[in-house]
Order: sequence, then structure tokens, then C-alpha cells
Amino acid sequence: MFVQFFYMLRERGVPVTPTSFLRLQKALSLGVIGSIDDFYTAARSILVKSERYFDTYDQVFAHYFRGATILEMEDVELTDIAKALLEEWLKHPQEMAEALGLDEEQLSRYTPEELIRYFLDRLKEQKEAHHGGNRWIGTGGTSPVGHSGDHPGGMRVGGTSRNKSAVKVAMERRYRDYSQEGPLTEIQMSEALKRLRRMIPHGPRDVVNVDKTIYETMRNGGEISIVFDRRLSDRLKVILMIDNGGWSMDPYIGIVQTLFNYARSQFKDLKIYYFHNTLYSSIWLDPQRHLRPEAIEEFTRRDPETRLIIVGDAAMAPYELTGANAAIYVGQKESRTSEERLKFLARTFRHAVWLNPQPESSWGYTWTIGAIWKIFPMFELTLDGLEKAVQHLMKRH
Amino acid sequence: MKPIGEPYRFHGASKYVLDDELAKIVNVSMALEMPLLLKGEPGTGKTMLAYAIAESLAMPLIVLNVKSSMKLLDALYQYDTLTRLNDSRFGDSKRDVSNIEEYIRMGKIGQAFVSDCRTVLLIDEIDKADTDFQDDMLDVLDQMQFDIMEIDKTVTAKNRPVIIITSNAKKDLSDPFLGRCNFHHIAFPDPEMMRMILNVHFPDLSEELARASLLTFYRLREFRGIEKKPATRELINWVRALQSDPDFVVKTLENGEIPYLGVLFKKSLDLNLALQQAGRARK
Repeated sequence: MFVQFFYMLRERGVPVTPTSFLRLQKALSLGVIGSIDDFYTAARSILVKSERYFDTYDQVFAHYFRGATILEMEDVELTDIAKALLEEWLKHPQEMAEALGLDEEQLSRYTPEELIRYFLDRLKEQKEAHHGGNRWIGTGGTSPVGHSGDHPGGMRVGGTSRNKSAVKVAMERRYRDYSQEGPLTEIQMSEALKRLRRMIPHGPRDVVNVDKTIYETMRNGGEISIVFDRRLSDRLKVILMIDNGGWSMDPYIGIVQTLFNYARSQFKDLKIYYFHNTLYSSIWLDPQRHLRPEAIEEFTRRDPETRLIIVGDAAMAPYELTGANAAIYVGQKESRTSEERLKFLARTFRHAVWLNPQPESSWGYTWTIGAIWKIFPMFELTLDGLEKAVQHLMKRH
Repeated sequence: MKPIGEPYRFHGASKYVLDDELAKIVNVSMALEMPLLLKGEPGTGKTMLAYAIAESLAMPLIVLNVKSSMKLLDALYQYDTLTRLNDSRFGDSKRDVSNIEEYIRMGKIGQAFVSDCRTVLLIDEIDKADTDFQDDMLDVLDQMQFDIMEIDKTVTAKNRPVIIITSNAKKDLSDPFLGRCNFHHIAFPDPEMMRMILNVHFPDLSEELARASLLTFYRLREFRGIEKKPATRELINWVRALQSDPDFVVKTLENGEIPYLGVLFKKSLDLNLALQQAGRARK
């Protein structure tokens, strides 16, 4: 029964397995499903294993039992659109001027940084009237924590309806909002970063070591001798370096903030530094990158077991990486290239990763990403990438 | 089709408001003898559901609170070596030191298996454990038996427990795990449902207070930038706080003032954000 329904679900991308389908048949034969309403709920709980597919299930159900049309829907995230549009527009300043309602002369007075901000502000105005501060971490007291303004409205509250037929319920598409992947939340981060710890005996000896106790007791000729150990606790040292400069990192503010908040609450020994695009002779402890610089050479004095995590899009002009005097700030005199600095860090800390918020598929298009990739193992700033990065950080070299 | 001869049917318990959909799913899972995996935002009553099922089926409830450091063995049984060592040294207990079985203690899953009557086994927050734990555990629950290595004995479930598993994380559990469970996602209750939940907890709640507090509550949930949104538990505590304050009048809420925000927002950052936004709304 309902074989076609099963295949329709598969076609629409719901991962239904034959086993679960057989289980549905068993449920039918057991007589626990008495009506189409029962079928709707029972089949969903048996076949569909994630709320992300509930919406597709609803559509297929409505289609199968009522012939409703299935909509093709592609959700593209705002940031992606913004990025793509910008890249296109930067090539055609005139079009851009028209679209933003400025004339070209006005436009030319803006720096790219101002332009992007202007553009993003405009986009946000359209989406959400009172969008809060779009500030970088640490620069303001009220940064919007972990919640992304780029996903307007957030998750809708799916109500439970009563006294309605299953098809009607299905056609309401209550789970539409669950079908898209939300931004990475702190909970998910903690899930991925949970294994990033280093257990070291610490504190008073208050845990019984059973094996040693038995051994010592035997040696004692049966006279009990209890051996205590120190409790294991997490002593992992982490250095987090964040690229917080320029507009190229702007779309990722939300996600980096989440990482930042998690790191601050989780790791006991954490140092956070800031840089712009890439590293030169010094790196800053303050987010404005102005007041408290620290020389890169100083890092040799740190524990080499420290885990170094660098977050940045690694996208910049090639000369910033390879030029000997390439720092984009006036007055910053450099003796060595940024590339050398990065290599120095990679040598100092055996456990280091670079997290890139850009999707891995696009890395090949930027030369500097490839160059940095050769120095540091690079991972996407997604759940999957984080997990891989943690695996790498915990590897014994 | 054979007639419905199921002795146990689940209808809902005194303190838990159950919607039809969920009741059906619980019944189907029980009929299929499959664990039911419940996902949903914190505060949607995942854990409470297991309590309600146990109450309405009149079965004892066994709760396994999963911890991140937990090994599967801890949930099955424990071999109490220290007690045995102590007994062998001093010999003042009634236990037989040469019989290891006397030093085996059942863990939560073990208890559910050896219980003389059918039980409800709640495995709470499974997502805290690592995937190995999850998969291995389902093997045990599938076969309804496990081995005690020390005494080479197999424990088989006398009665198949009703298994409820809850998960908070948005991260998906592993495919083999999902394949063996029935799945349900509990949506956050809509105002109508929430009203019923409030009525269950506060039978003497006045109409206007209920309306005003719900209105405020759902408005608060809309606030931007909140990391941990107030959920059912917070609402109930909040209404309790409002009720017990002798100076409180419903008018306050209607004026847009929100007393006891701290009951609703548990994180200081959230509280600050909420205070700002609540203040803005008043003007």
C-alpha cells in the first residue's frame, strides 16, 4: 500500500528507507491506523526523521491525497544574494549607482567599505525596520548575540491545530520554516567543540584509582591500601585570532560572534586577538586594533601545546601576503612578509587551524586562500568544518 | 486487520496537555514497540511527556539522564569492585564474596529490563552523549538484551519498556539511530494551547490575567537577539510570580510594563536586551 507515496517522498528528497516503509505497513496491519488523519501523523513519525523534511512531507501528502501542486522553492540566503550582487555591481559602477539611487559622482566618493555598509543597510531596511546594531564583537556593549539578522523573522511558531482534516493540516504547511537550515547556533557550536579539551590531573587527590588500589592491596598481602588520584580537568589553552577588519568579513559577523561567545564561555584559558586580512609583525588585543598590540615574535614564549584558531576569510590582495612592506596601514613598517609570519606561527603551534566562513567550494577562486591553505589546515566555519577542525586540533602529532 | 486489542492506550495525564497528534504518535510507537524520539525547543514539554505517559499508563518511570561523559556500560550495569574488595577484607557483610553477581548493580536501562512490570524508560537529552553511545544503546534496546561480561550472563528484558528519547540539539542524530526510532518534533505551543496549559497549572487563573500575560509572553518571544527565549516553564513561573505579588494589577501589563523580567530571561545578556526592547515598546 502507498508504494507510490513512498517513492514520491524519495523523489522530493526526503530520505525514507525501505525498512521504515515496511514498518509503516506493519503499523497498518496492526490496526493502529484507523483514518487518514491517523495515517498522516503515524506515517510522518515513522518515515520522516527530521523536522527539516516535515514541510516536504506535508506537500507530498497534500499532493498525493488531494492533488495539490508542489511548489518549486529555492531559498537563497540574503547574504549570498548580497555578495553576488555586489561582485557584479562593483564591475559596473553605473548600474550600481542607479540601483542605489545615487549618481555616479556621489558613488565615487565612497570607499568600497562605505559602499558595502550602505548597501547592507539598505537591504536590511527593506527586510526589518528596526534591525539592531551590526557591530563587531567587543566594540559595543550590546552586540546582537548569536542571533542572525540575516534570517528575517527567525523560526516561525508552528502551532498545533485541532479539528482539521489531515490534508488541510498538511496544506497549511506548518513546518515551512523548519525546512531551511538556520544559522549556526551556540548550542550547535558547543556540540562540535565539546571534544576540544585536554584533560590533565589537577586539584586535590580525591578520586579512587581502583586498579592501583587493588594492586597495592595485593602487594600489601591483602591489607587494604587505597590509592587516590587527582581529578582530571580541562586545561586546554586556546588562542583565537579573529579577522575583524574590512567589509569582506561583514556577512559573517553573526557566525563569528557565536563562535566568540562560545569560546569565551567555554575555554578557561583563552586569549583573543584581532587582525585585518592577514598577520604582520603585531596583532592586537583590542578589537579596534589600535591600543594594545603584541609582537608576533612574543608567541614563541607561549606553551607550544596551545591550540591556535584563526578565523578569517583569507581573501585579500596577493601583495598583502607576499609583499615585504605590504601592510595596508600607513606607518606600519615591515621587515618580513606576512606569509613568513604565518609560517612562523604554524611552526610555533603544532595544533593550529584556520577557519574560513566562506564555503569551501569558493576557495579555489581566491589566490590568497590557496596560499594560506598551504600554511594552515583550513576548514569551513560550519558544523561539519568545525568538527573536522576539532579532530585536527586534537590529533597527536 | 486484527481488532485493536491493545491493553495500553495513552490519553493524557492530569498535568500535561496533550494534543491529538502527539497522542496518536505515542500510541503508534507503543504498538510498533519502537522508541519514540522527541525533538523540539527547550520548554515544549519533551521530558514532561514521559512523566505523563508513565502516569496515565500507571507504569513506573525510569529516567536515564544522559551526560556527555557517560559510557553505555554505566547505563546497563556496574560491577562494584570496591565493595567486593572491602567485603573480602573484612567479611562482615551478608554477601557472598565469591559470587560476583552479588556485586553487579543495574544501571537505568538494566533496571527497566529486570523490572517485573512494564516500565516507561525516559532517556533524556540523548544528544549530549557521543554517537558511539547512541548507536550502541539502540543495539541494546533493539535486542532487548545485554551481556554482563564479568559473570557471562545475558540480561533479557522481562517486559519491553516504553522508550521515550528526547533531544534538544538541532544537530541531526546519526542515520542508523534515526532509522530505529519513531520521530516527532514538538512545535512550540500556540497561544490557544498555551492557554490550556496555563489552565491546567492554574485552575483559578483570572481570564484577564491569562489573556494579558499570554499576550505579553508571546510579544517577548518576538524580541530580537534573544539567545534563550522564554519557554513554557518560564511562563508558568512568571504567572506564579505575578499571582503571588499582592501589588500586581493586570493594568500594569496592559500598560506595557513587565515586572519580574528576570523570571523570563535567564541570561544576563538576554535580560539586558529584553529590558531595552521592553523599554522601547513602552514609549
